[in-house]
Amino acid sequence: MEAQTTTGKFVVPIGPQHPALKEPGHFEFTVDGEIVTGASVRLGFVHRGIEKGAEARNWVQNMYMVERVCGICSHVHATAYALGVEQLAGVTAPPRAQAIRELVAELERVHSHMLWLGVAAHEGGFDTLFMYSWRDRETVMDLLEAICGNRVHYSVNLLGGVKYDIDDKLADQLRKGVDFLEGRCEHYMKVVTTDETFVGRTKNVGKMSKEEAYELGSVGPTARASGVDRDIRIDAPYVSYEQFPVKLITDDAGDLQARFVVRIKELYESFRLIREILDHMPEGELTVKVPRRIPAGEAISRVEAPRGELLYFLKSNGTDIPDRVKIRTPSLCNWSSVVNYAVGHKLADMPMLLAGIDPCFSCNDRSVTIHRGGNVQNDWSWEQLRQYGIAYYR
Amino acid sequence: MNTPLSLLYLLIFPGGLFLIAMGLVYEWADRKLVAQFQNRIGPRWFQPLADVIKLLAKEEIIPAGVSSGLFTALPIVAVAAALTAALNVPMFGLRPAYSFSGDLIVAMYLLSLMTLCTGLAGANTNDRFSLIGATRTLTQLFSYEAPFMLALLGPAIMAGSWNISEINAYAESHLWMVVTQPIGALVAIIGLMGKLELPPFDAPEAETEIVSGALTEYSGRGLALFHIGKDIELVIGLTMVSAFYFGGLSNPIYFIVKTVVLLLITAGLQSLFARLRIDQTVGMWWRLGALLALLQLLVLIVFKGFGL
Repeated sequence: MEAQTTTGKFVVPIGPQHPALKEPGHFEFTVDGEIVTGASVRLGFVHRGIEKGAEARNWVQNMYMVERVCGICSHVHATAYALGVEQLAGVTAPPRAQAIRELVAELERVHSHMLWLGVAAHEGGFDTLFMYSWRDRETVMDLLEAICGNRVHYSVNLLGGVKYDIDDKLADQLRKGVDFLEGRCEHYMKVVTTDETFVGRTKNVGKMSKEEAYELGSVGPTARASGVDRDIRIDAPYVSYEQFPVKLITDDAGDLQARFVVRIKELYESFRLIREILDHMPEGELTVKVPRRIPAGEAISRVEAPRGELLYFLKSNGTDIPDRVKIRTPSLCNWSSVVNYAVGHKLADMPMLLAGIDPCFSCNDRSVTIHRGGNVQNDWSWEQLRQYGIAYYR
Repeated sequence: MNTPLSLLYLLIFPGGLFLIAMGLVYEWADRKLVAQFQNRIGPRWFQPLADVIKLLAKEEIIPAGVSSGLFTALPIVAVAAALTAALNVPMFGLRPAYSFSGDLIVAMYLLSLMTLCTGLAGANTNDRFSLIGATRTLTQLFSYEAPFMLALLGPAIMAGSWNISEINAYAESHLWMVVTQPIGALVAIIGLMGKLELPPFDAPEAETEIVSGALTEYSGRGLALFHIGKDIELVIGLTMVSAFYFGGLSNPIYFIVKTVVLLLITAGLQSLFARLRIDQTVGMWWRLGALLALLQLLVLIVFKGFGL
């Protein structure tokens, strides 16, 4: 490895294989001593071709497929997809199914935010918080397992409803677990706002103003920590968010600490919602019938994933196989903000800043080809694709 | 001293084998304690030994573009320096193997040699992470070294001697100096953590930023030697601080109890804080650590001067 690049700048590469990254991505930081003077990001190491794969499977099989886009927020992907398909088919899931979808979505948000809290603390060298938050996260994993039998891919959704019901015994277990987690989260809130060393690493680090957040198109808690009032659960309520509304959490500080505070406050809000849903669970059926062939048309469905707005575009040609499934994941929207506010900070802050947007790499990797004029060949054979892949990664 | 006895001192006890075994046990205790504080299970008792044996059995890769003589020699020098320093301290509560007037200063410098070797090892390799790690290691050396030295100077002034065993004897016969010089004791404990690059002062080897800092390119024997050197430094550091501030080490039982309690304190501190950035470390030591140590020294000098 050469220490100096041809331009005479000292470049520190982070990734694709680096202890700070749990998934492969590549970042190049140009440094002057410890100060970062330039940052760039390159993605695409874990492209899996899920969108293309979805065009070869029928609507029901794709449910299984989209749930595997992300290992952390599998439920919101399935919800977004199911809502889109139901919209195309002209059916609505029953109220009880919608409430259970919201319940699981909020439990998933709890699990995702607690996971993030641990990862972000680890990036800052605070391993005790990492271990504690992951230990407590086991509680919510157990609750999800009690609902559906799975810890990661819950498979709660069906086209037109949900698979699993919540009975009284399960509701009590959920209430107990949520009470415990709320107590723990209050403790974590105290840690991230008062611990001297931790505040030293997060306060006024990676500041992003409200205007910048708008311009760079940030989404989710990253944007809300800069004071942007953007939350799909409120702006365009889906499932039962109209019946059980969520309160908007924003913070004006826009720094790394605000991102911690906003996420932990969202956890409180999730706990409140879970209790409310359990107390006022609508009665009724869990599913409605959805036709095997979906009428031709296009649909867009938006949901608020733990990381921000998740968008699905679905196009049907009237058969049992979708014509196009386009997924835009929230992590993709937040990269520009990281590259923007990284400049001027110290190298030691980079892992925490990267973790600050709660990045999910595999779900935002896309294959894009740009043609600059010339003879454009649109159909590639398998052999050509293979050769292209070999040449690209050489 | 006759030759066979000297060899025994050097190779078996208190230097050499005994010290290495001791270092591995203390490393295990440290890891286990931190793990328990973090609600983990932690490693089994032979894990550090297993790590060292595994590393020694592995191929040592000398990267391209380094001075291979320096690359091989630095870990050996580091371990040798740590082992030599051990001869001057009351290891295991017994009389130091080799003692002369002024050995405190020699021991301090020998301990710094270890850090210096790590820094040089990083600067010697061409790797970006190593270079940044080396810069941080040396920056940290300059930040904690002076306050740590001043903190160990306090007991030396009280005892009126530069000889470690004389200071140890003075500490035994008087009130524990952690009571009479609390500031110095605090600076010494935290300085020890900075010296050993334990969290929260582990910026030089912050794995989430620069992989493993200066030692990124080391593998096999070199890495094993650096690990052993660090473990020995941990034992010597604990011995010195407890001999000076915690009422001296007159017998093996005192030695074990006092050093383990000190280890418990450092393990607690390790799990309490988030990692400090290197600029925060330097700022803390020079703005706070050095001032506190100087203040302690001033109090002592006034105290001594007026013969109270």
